[in-house]
Amino acid sequence: MWKTILRRVLIIIPEVFVLSILVFLLAKAMPGDPFTGSINPHTSLAHIHHLMKINGLYDPWYQQYWNWLVHLFHGDLGMSYEYQEPVTRIVGERAINTLWLAVFATVLTYAIGLPVGLYAGRHQNSRGDHAIRMYTYVTYAIPFFVILVMGLWIFGYLLGWFPTTGSIGTNVGSGFPAVISRLQHIILPGILQALFGLVGIVQYLRSEVIDATHSDYVRTARSKGVPVKDVFKHHVFRNSLLPITATAGYSITGLLGGSIYTETVFSYPGMGLLFVSAINYRDYTVITALVLMYGVLSMLGTLLSDIIMAAVDPRIRIE
Amino acid sequence: MSLIEVHDLEVHYPIRSGFWNRVTDEVLAVDGVSLSIEAGETYGLVGESGSGKSTTGKSIVGLEKPTHGQVIYKGKDITKSANRQKLDYNQDVQMIFQDSLSSLNPRKRIEDIIAEPLRNFGKLSKDEEKLRVLQLLDIVGLDADALYKYPHQFSGGQRQRIGVARAVATNPKLIVADEPVSALDLSVQAQVLNFMKKIQRDFNVSYLFISHDLGVVRHMCDNIAIMHRGRIVEMGTRDDIYNHPMHIYTRRLLSAIPETSVAHREEARAKREAVEKEFQENQQRYYDKDGKVLPLLDVTSTHKVALPADEVAKLQREAD
Amino acid sequence: MAQNDPLNKKSSISAEDLTRLSKEAEATATPSSRQIIWKEFKADKIALTSAIIVVGFILFVIIASFFIPAGSYKAVNIMDYFNKPFTPDFWLGADSSGRSVAKLLIVGSRNSIGIAIGLTLISGTFGIAYGLISGYFGGMTDMIMSRIYDFMLMLPTLMFIIVLVTIIQNYNAITLTLILSLFQWMGSSRLIRSRALAESRKDYVAASKTSGTSNFKIIFREIMPNISSLIIVEMTLAFAGNLGVETGLSFLGFGLPNGTPSLGTLIANATDPTNITQYWWTWLFAALEIIVLCLAVSYVGQALRRSADASQRLGDK
Repeated sequence: MWKTILRRVLIIIPEVFVLSILVFLLAKAMPGDPFTGSINPHTSLAHIHHLMKINGLYDPWYQQYWNWLVHLFHGDLGMSYEYQEPVTRIVGERAINTLWLAVFATVLTYAIGLPVGLYAGRHQNSRGDHAIRMYTYVTYAIPFFVILVMGLWIFGYLLGWFPTTGSIGTNVGSGFPAVISRLQHIILPGILQALFGLVGIVQYLRSEVIDATHSDYVRTARSKGVPVKDVFKHHVFRNSLLPITATAGYSITGLLGGSIYTETVFSYPGMGLLFVSAINYRDYTVITALVLMYGVLSMLGTLLSDIIMAAVDPRIRIE
Repeated sequence: MSLIEVHDLEVHYPIRSGFWNRVTDEVLAVDGVSLSIEAGETYGLVGESGSGKSTTGKSIVGLEKPTHGQVIYKGKDITKSANRQKLDYNQDVQMIFQDSLSSLNPRKRIEDIIAEPLRNFGKLSKDEEKLRVLQLLDIVGLDADALYKYPHQFSGGQRQRIGVARAVATNPKLIVADEPVSALDLSVQAQVLNFMKKIQRDFNVSYLFISHDLGVVRHMCDNIAIMHRGRIVEMGTRDDIYNHPMHIYTRRLLSAIPETSVAHREEARAKREAVEKEFQENQQRYYDKDGKVLPLLDVTSTHKVALPADEVAKLQREAD
Repeated sequence: MAQNDPLNKKSSISAEDLTRLSKEAEATATPSSRQIIWKEFKADKIALTSAIIVVGFILFVIIASFFIPAGSYKAVNIMDYFNKPFTPDFWLGADSSGRSVAKLLIVGSRNSIGIAIGLTLISGTFGIAYGLISGYFGGMTDMIMSRIYDFMLMLPTLMFIIVLVTIIQNYNAITLTLILSLFQWMGSSRLIRSRALAESRKDYVAASKTSGTSNFKIIFREIMPNISSLIIVEMTLAFAGNLGVETGLSFLGFGLPNGTPSLGTLIANATDPTNITQYWWTWLFAALEIIVLCLAVSYVGQALRRSADASQRLGDK
């Protein structure tokens, strides 16, 4: 097993390398020079040339890439031209907000998804199962951003249950009231993200449980007189729960992609919203940092899931 | 000159393991097989499953790429795909498969299935092609209304006939028949075998008849090779194999042919047990220290067996 | 093969019998699996209604958009600023520039649906070919192709698309579709690959090889028809998903070029706090339309999947 895991870990090195090249090339291809936002009409051409030169923008691309990489390893992602601050600091502030939201949504996804999926599988073709299937079909079919907009409209505006923008109320100060205010702000986007995310879990668990119910080993246990409840507890759950938890890592990719929509709709100041505004301002040090970060996080998430899967499922370990 | 000659054919599959997934071992599916098939004859290739007989057959039609050795046809080594293309090799060498359902594309009508080799190798007009398909169907004993039907609408025996019709469509010189009847009912087996014989007479085609069943092979084959663990343990004429079996593995296979008469049942069983006992106890005499089959040695001009040299010398004296 | 053909001697059938026998055969021909699927599908009334609604709606917006000159939905008209809906002049109201929401909706639907169809065709074709080739050849080819696939799956594709859209200066619907396709083809590749892998192990593929058929033909003419029902289902479901791709991008402001209406840009009106409550007609119709459309298309996909399974049951056994 350790070999499988170690080999899997090693694969990520070329993957990250290719990703970094792609991201770097994208950054280079962005139009305009990065000083457009910080100069004014009176800035002399010579001064711009000077700026370009000291920032290494006249070097060949591979040298620029190398410099960029070296800086990266020192934790230096450059300066944001829009905010005139180190990118690490800006991204860091926003990352915490996104993290809050992501953790909340993930916890919620599993808290709702697991019991619902198990219920649907155990009570196949019951009225509850039909309702759950209806729900997964509807949620799966409708684009995520439309769900967000409708949710915001209904629960944020029409019913007025939740705040509609931002990550914290104005003038709440610090300490306990601030935490409560933050929580209030992530409830609605978190729930919506979870409602969307749990579809996969419910569908997977449901079919797992149904398959297990019809499998020979469950039938044998039943025929020996083991109560249904115990069969599910000892056989079915154990077999389907671990793999489903392992998918948490895979879901990071979707969660991050979704954050762009969620944060735009709820004007929630996380990395997704930062990305959208950075694009609008052509703030490409920030853009580069975010794309790279999202990519690396996705890769790490997938790595994590692969490792858990390998640990859980003996079939993957076999060489 | 023989129609086709196989020289020292080897098909090895790599086993990868270890941290870098490097090739650490090999499965010797076929490990040095030589044989030659004459025009118009039926050559039997017999062995248990996993003995490498199917892989040998597939290498001869060009479906499997050998790791070593040659298959000589018209003076060219057809294990190279360039040579196969140059000769239009598969126009002359065709194959019949064991699983008749899987070997016919379920989404194609019978007409398109049988016409497939015709379209690839010949230049027939639409009508000529259809006529030929109808004639082929007629020869294998199927009606014209099979033309626009799908494979699943036929019985196993009928499907195997369709497989044969496709194989003979291009007037091949050799057909590799890989267990053509082992998936069929006993009653249907005889039918299919009989019309395969009829086709052989009519078209002067050779068969490489692959089977695990020496009972079936007896009725079909002129020459027989017995394979075990990727190598040939014994080869010879039908008489050599059935009446003078020398290798313990051949005798083991022969003793496994079911005895139909009740009177000899006990006798056959005692014989079977004796052969099995000898096979278990005297392995080292018939196989080398790694359990591999020994090299083949001539006993008579037609009969070869994989036994130690001193043993073969003794057998040769007996034969004379 | 002509005169001295042993077939002519051994078979009692000659050229004279050809027409008669062909006719006989045609009379007993079997329905193809496509006909079976269609029969099954027709029996599902909700699915049939959904399909008719979707097709009818698509035809309607395409035809109707021909009668709406570009000027009439682009021109700003301050007098009609946020005109209320359900009035004779503005059935569905007007937006902040006084443009008719109904007209924007029709033209926007045409654009969005058109891109979704194009995206489905291009990315679907590529993804299916990718899966088929990877599964058919197996071995090294498959390993490399699977690695690339896994890598693509981990990329933050939405970000890449947005960055590319901002980099490319003058793009139109076609370039946008191509950019989207670059990152959206992975959808059904894996499923197709595993089916192709299973099919390529079957003897009919070996038989085609010995019949002298080329790899290319085997992949697309022998294997592909065997998974055609899977492909149809996957493409339909992908179409439902793709409706959300361009509209989502346009919603964020990175979709079709400025001034080109799309369902996404209409829904983007909802990002304004006053619009979302007071001037709900500027975005709600578009949102509802997309919901109905997506539900209908994916219902059709699900029904097709059921019918395809049924045809497998009835036909292939």
